[in-house]
Amino acid sequence: MKAHPSLQMLFQRFWEIAGGVSVRSKILGIVLGLVILLGLGITVQVRQALTRTMAAQLAEQSVSVARDLAARSTDLILLNDLFALHRLLQETKANNQNVAYAFLLDTNGQVLASTYGETFPVDLIAVNPIEPTAHHHTLVLATNQGYVWDTAVPILEGQVGTARVGLSDASLRRMLVTITNQLLLTTALVSLIGITAATFLTWILTRPILDLAQAAQAVAQGNFTKRVKRWANDEIGELATAFNQMVSELAKAEEIRREREFLRRQLLEKVIVTQEDERKRIARELHDSTSQTLTSLIMGLKVMESGCADIQTQLQARELRQIAVQTLEEVHDLAMQLRPRLLDDLGLRAALERLVKEWQTRYRIAIDLMYHVSQERLPDVVETALYRIIQEALTNVARHAQAHNVSVLIEQRGEELVAVIEDDGIGFDISRIGLSDTAQAHLGLAGMQERAALLGGTITFESEIGRGTSIYIQLPISKVMQNELEDYGIARG
Amino acid sequence: MKRRLLWVLMFLLCFNSACSGTLSLPAAAYVDLEQRVPLPTPLNSAVAPLRVAVAAVISPQGTVESYNLLLESLQSHLNRPIELVQRRTYLEINDLLEQGQVDVAFVCTSAYIAGSEKFGMELLVAPQVKGETVYYSLLLVPSDSSATSIADLRGKVFAFTDPISLSGRMYPTYLVMQQGSTPDEFFGRVFFTYSHDQAILAVANKVADGAAVDSLVYEFFLARDATIGEKTRVIHRSPPFGIPPVVVNPALRPQLKLDLQNFFLSLHEDAQGQAALKAIGVDRFVPIEDSAYQSVRDLLSNLNATR
Repeated sequence: MKAHPSLQMLFQRFWEIAGGVSVRSKILGIVLGLVILLGLGITVQVRQALTRTMAAQLAEQSVSVARDLAARSTDLILLNDLFALHRLLQETKANNQNVAYAFLLDTNGQVLASTYGETFPVDLIAVNPIEPTAHHHTLVLATNQGYVWDTAVPILEGQVGTARVGLSDASLRRMLVTITNQLLLTTALVSLIGITAATFLTWILTRPILDLAQAAQAVAQGNFTKRVKRWANDEIGELATAFNQMVSELAKAEEIRREREFLRRQLLEKVIVTQEDERKRIARELHDSTSQTLTSLIMGLKVMESGCADIQTQLQARELRQIAVQTLEEVHDLAMQLRPRLLDDLGLRAALERLVKEWQTRYRIAIDLMYHVSQERLPDVVETALYRIIQEALTNVARHAQAHNVSVLIEQRGEELVAVIEDDGIGFDISRIGLSDTAQAHLGLAGMQERAALLGGTITFESEIGRGTSIYIQLPISKVMQNELEDYGIARG
Repeated sequence: MKRRLLWVLMFLLCFNSACSGTLSLPAAAYVDLEQRVPLPTPLNSAVAPLRVAVAAVISPQGTVESYNLLLESLQSHLNRPIELVQRRTYLEINDLLEQGQVDVAFVCTSAYIAGSEKFGMELLVAPQVKGETVYYSLLLVPSDSSATSIADLRGKVFAFTDPISLSGRMYPTYLVMQQGSTPDEFFGRVFFTYSHDQAILAVANKVADGAAVDSLVYEFFLARDATIGEKTRVIHRSPPFGIPPVVVNPALRPQLKLDLQNFFLSLHEDAQGQAALKAIGVDRFVPIEDSAYQSVRDLLSNLNATR
């Protein structure tokens, strides 16, 4: 079935309105619409039926009054008893409320007597002519006083004259007004009842739906304990049951997810701790063992250099010593990179100062470090995490940003540690993170986020192409967080 | 919500005020009933009509029906419009004749006698019925009444016709007086019907226990409606009286009087005239002398003397 475009548009328009209002308005609209439609329909029908019936009655009555008048006036006209005629007309009018006028015409069509008295609406005479042989002739006249059923009856077959009677529609109109008022009043009353009923119905219908909506919001916010009551065994009741089942399933799934997340974090933490420990061990090894060995080697070579008379050997020993010195430096650097001793020995500040200094030397980019933390030492995990995050960030800047200036700010704000790393490089499109060409960078960013998340912190990246990059890091250092960290088994030395 | 309800009520109110009192019907014409003008006084027609009065022997409507043909013949004979004048009582007709507001009149016998005495009412012609120019007063009772004479009607309801009708009032009064009483004493109640046909109907319908009526009217009615004979019974017939004549105003032009006389006397000679005569129950019109009414004069003077 294909609807006419204008019909479709009409339906669309209707749906815009009907769909845009609440269920309460819809139900009210249906109830009120039907009641009013029914009320008006009945009113119109009743008015039409009443008008038809009463019009027929008035026409009939007009004939009977006119015939009565004709019969009663015959002798009076013949006897030329004008006063009696006048009285007869007055009585006719007085005895019949519907009579608008009555008058008698003589054979010449002149008014013998009328209910109007001295003056007469002369137009009236000609509108209803009648054959002398006719029984009667009735027609409806429109007048400035409403409709009039005018009947003409010849008196004594027209030999005496004509009797004319007009019945007004006043009673019909009064009846119509009364009936219409009553019907409309009834409609209004029924509408009121309808509104009450619809309001009640709406309450019954929407209460469980609103409950469902509330529960759904609660679930969306992670509250899986919320259940809705099944108010009735109808479709909405079914929905409530299904909803409750769904929430139970979701709660189970959430439980599983949380467990997995916990395990994942534990694993991650273990990996990081192991990595850190390993680095520390290797760094220590390099420092304690390899460095000592190299130092001994250098000392030995120096002794050999000074003790040897052979110039050739002397030169070789010097050369070897220089290689050994260089290797020692490289070993130092490597140890430093793996795990700066300073971080363990003197804390974050010293470690960062050292990192920044070396980074500047290495990449020749201006860097500025501001460190405003009152506590001498921060929790170990925090120091390590922040150090690693900043290290990764600076590596990224050096690799991708093409920056000229970099600033690193670390600040304690209450129970929070805030770090901001800004550069004036080329920036990047954050929405493109995760695409293949930036996968490497993305891994780095994800690693930073993981580290922060492990400590209950957050990292926000702000960047735009050509406008540099800002990284905001927030890490809690409160006791509560400490406890939570311990819960996760992270807060170890 | 409240606003919407208000809208609904407003709509109902509008609907109500807009159409509750309005009607729409197919009307034949529009008339402004407020636009009224004073009624024009009826203009006198160019030709003065001949005014013919018919005394209320029978009811006004019956008179029109009966005299229509006669008056039409007269109109074509005179080539002049005729105006039929009727009044409730005989005396009113006499007054109109005296004042010259009526030219020709069909009057009752007693009205003629009163008129001739008062202002010289002139006889024109008289109708002849069944070869005679006399009529009788008939005493009528309902057919199931046990009354056989006026004496049996004592204390009953009696219908008079016209106050000065010979057959309808004078003669029954005369009969009552012969009983040594007056109508008011003799009858339980009396009333006037002002015409003979109404008096007959009053007896036939037992509104009255008795009435005295013109024999001409009674027979005329019998011929038309047989049920009258079944419902009424004649218990007394008066001696013959001079028939109610056609009279004229004494001041009427002699030429017109002659013309009229010719018309009436020759009426039976053609078919149209015969039809007109038949309609009023008359054979023909004949000339008549004042002497024909002497017996009535005697009766009336006798009656007045007894009073």
